[in-house]
Amino acid sequence: MTIALDIRSVGKSFPGVRALRDVSVTIAGGEIVAIVGENGAGKSTLLKILSGDYRLDEGSVALDGAALGRATPLECRDAGFRLVRQEPEIVPFVSVLENIFVGEMPRGRLGRVDFARMRREAEDMLARYGFAGFLDLDQEGRTLSPAQMQLVEILRALKPGVRVVAFDEPTSSLTQTETERLFALIRQLKADGLAVIYVSHRLHEIMEISGRVFVLKDGVPTGDLAIGETSEDEIVRLMVGRDLEAHGLNRVAATPGAVVLEVRNISSRWHRDVSFSIRAGEIVGFAGLVGAGRTELAKVIFGEYPRTGGEILIDGKPVTVRSPSDGIRAGMGLAPEDRKTEGLILVRSVMENASMAVFRRLSRWGILRQAEMFDTVEPLVRKLAIKTPSLDTEVGKLSGGNQQKVVLARWLAASPRVLILDEPTRAVDVGAKTEIYRLIDDLAKSGLAIMMISSEMPELLSMSDRIIVMKDGMISEPIEKAAATEERIVNLALGTTA
Amino acid sequence: MTIMEKGRPDGGPSIWKRTASFVGAENLSLVIALVILLALISSQSEFFFSARNLLNIGQNMAVVGLIAVGMTLVIVSAGLDISVGSMAGAASVVCALVVTSTDSVGLGVLGGVAIGTTLGLVNATIITVLRVNPVVATLATFSAFRGIAFLIAPDGRPVGVLDPELRYLGSGRVLQTAEFPGIPVSFLILVAVAVVAHVVMTTTVFGRSIYSMGGNPAAARLAGINLTAMKFKIYAISGALAGLAGVIVTARTSSGQPASGTQGLELEAITAVFLGGALLAGGKGTIVGTMLAVMLIAVLANGMNLLGIATFYQLVAKGLLLVAAVAIGQWRLARSEREQAKAAAGGV
Repeated sequence: MTIALDIRSVGKSFPGVRALRDVSVTIAGGEIVAIVGENGAGKSTLLKILSGDYRLDEGSVALDGAALGRATPLECRDAGFRLVRQEPEIVPFVSVLENIFVGEMPRGRLGRVDFARMRREAEDMLARYGFAGFLDLDQEGRTLSPAQMQLVEILRALKPGVRVVAFDEPTSSLTQTETERLFALIRQLKADGLAVIYVSHRLHEIMEISGRVFVLKDGVPTGDLAIGETSEDEIVRLMVGRDLEAHGLNRVAATPGAVVLEVRNISSRWHRDVSFSIRAGEIVGFAGLVGAGRTELAKVIFGEYPRTGGEILIDGKPVTVRSPSDGIRAGMGLAPEDRKTEGLILVRSVMENASMAVFRRLSRWGILRQAEMFDTVEPLVRKLAIKTPSLDTEVGKLSGGNQQKVVLARWLAASPRVLILDEPTRAVDVGAKTEIYRLIDDLAKSGLAIMMISSEMPELLSMSDRIIVMKDGMISEPIEKAAATEERIVNLALGTTA
Repeated sequence: MTIMEKGRPDGGPSIWKRTASFVGAENLSLVIALVILLALISSQSEFFFSARNLLNIGQNMAVVGLIAVGMTLVIVSAGLDISVGSMAGAASVVCALVVTSTDSVGLGVLGGVAIGTTLGLVNATIITVLRVNPVVATLATFSAFRGIAFLIAPDGRPVGVLDPELRYLGSGRVLQTAEFPGIPVSFLILVAVAVVAHVVMTTTVFGRSIYSMGGNPAAARLAGINLTAMKFKIYAISGALAGLAGVIVTARTSSGQPASGTQGLELEAITAVFLGGALLAGGKGTIVGTMLAVMLIAVLANGMNLLGIATFYQLVAKGLLLVAAVAIGQWRLARSEREQAKAAAGGV
């Protein structure tokens, strides 16, 4: 049996972050290897290097001896690597059949598409892998259920010449029975001599399906174990646990004051019966996997997304929040997860970006008073130590950390009662992170109620007074700081029992 | 450099610095282009600097300029309004009809502006309530409003209107002496509108919100800006100014024209806005830049006429100019994005 995939000392950096460092793993044909790690551990980065979406900075990747690490997506595909994505791109208005063969339709005479051959091959695949009758090949892509979409994405991968298949969270949209069928398919692939990579948060699935588990933490491998010789507990331990001092600010919490934000039985498209409260001076961290509904919860509370039930109280009074402007009026501020698409107007100045939530307050008869704008923004720029050549500099020209500070400055200018921070230090370099932590701490000390969504465990553990874990649109009981451990949070987020 | 050294913006910089910052660094190339063009044309045609010709250019600028002011608001908000010429046509007819039936120029002007505003609100409704992309929405009303202009005009023919007061709006001039040809009244109207628009765009909550929503609608909404209300106001203003331009057309030609004189205005106005430094994606653009570009285009068109360049070539040239204007904008954007990437990597 030849080694199929050989990943050696792979390293990859993004501005401000080392996503992968010295990652080595070999995966042989006929083997199923699980890759696990927390959000941001580097699993997706590794898969994207294999699929050719990213180019590696260091090390090498070889598939049957042919180098891949700097190949294009097409070259990776032709070499035999296929990635089954968590959220497949389905072309809405064409048939399932064309969706399966998109980009690689067989040609017949005169360059016309050979539909008969396509249909034959697709039917063969469905029968071979036990999914006959599960998919109507003539159905339009947009009418598929999430599970059917996932199957289309899988069938796309199983073309002739495939050597390695990587599944990225394949069961997140599948029911128990569908998952069983998928496992049968994966075992079939193994029997056919393919190398299989299985990325999942669901540890019990990993224990069931894979032969080996490869653990990543902060971009560094922390374990490569045979499934028979390990346990869920050991895997969780390898995924978590690190020196907190180096990552967060060890905050001494002040005594919290009266309840400022109270959320009662909120329901929405994403949530069921969510209730919690945040006191003045308190930071409540929200943990959970990507897709658990945390960002959506923030937007529901702020008025960006509609809620179907429940109520929101600020300082004990119910508030009507139907739009972000209602949210702002009620005394809330939201620093969204994605600065570039939702937070900032990159082509406009620091001054405008920092003052846009309070244009009304800074104007008289609709005319903005330049001097007041300056007097509002300039002290904030000083206080937050935003490094910018001038207040008129376009925000897009600043570094990530400084951009994030401009978003914070906007909400400080609005002097809210409640500040919702969604991934406040994403894509921010380490130095600026510490400054942002200090700032959040100062804000809490000044009496704000802070809701902090974060996927970074050290950040959550060091900054939060209490931590709420969200899973599938529902929340856990708040965990007090003293009782919060990484294991406990990860177990709640994954739904495993500790 | 950590914090800017610049003090509160109430000090008194030199007149040169103030002029330079008013014109804007990115508009400097427009000024240079205008100077070169003026030199080029006047060296080829003695008639160019004649009083009569300058008056002519000023009057031509008025109609396109009024529309371009509204178009600046629309494009900065990341929208587009293709129906402006058709709205102007409808306004021209309505103005003539109102003046002939009431003998009141004031009501005529009001009628023209009102019909433009109404049609602008129709555009806004299609864009916001029916969620039709602005390009498609105003392309549809580009046709529909022109049809309405013909339907309002009895038998679809121009409506003659002989009123000296109205004529004054279109062809009158002030400060006329033996040596000085005077300034066209229509040009003064444009200047007044442009000054107000400049103040609105630079100093009011409404104006700055246009820049925010154009630069990033998602972020603007999360910062509490009501995008729907903004669009209604913006397209209504575009319609109102197109209406005013239609009134000027009526005044100049002494007739309500459903089509003649207002066709192709959308192209010229859009070209002017992009040439003036606005971005296709929104969030950037100034009234000053647009006005300089309007001037450049008016001089260019006039020069081509004086030099006897055939209309067909002129149409090709106008098309090329629009492509060039947008291409320059995209090139600038790509350059500044490269700088941003460099700055982000270096961590300023």
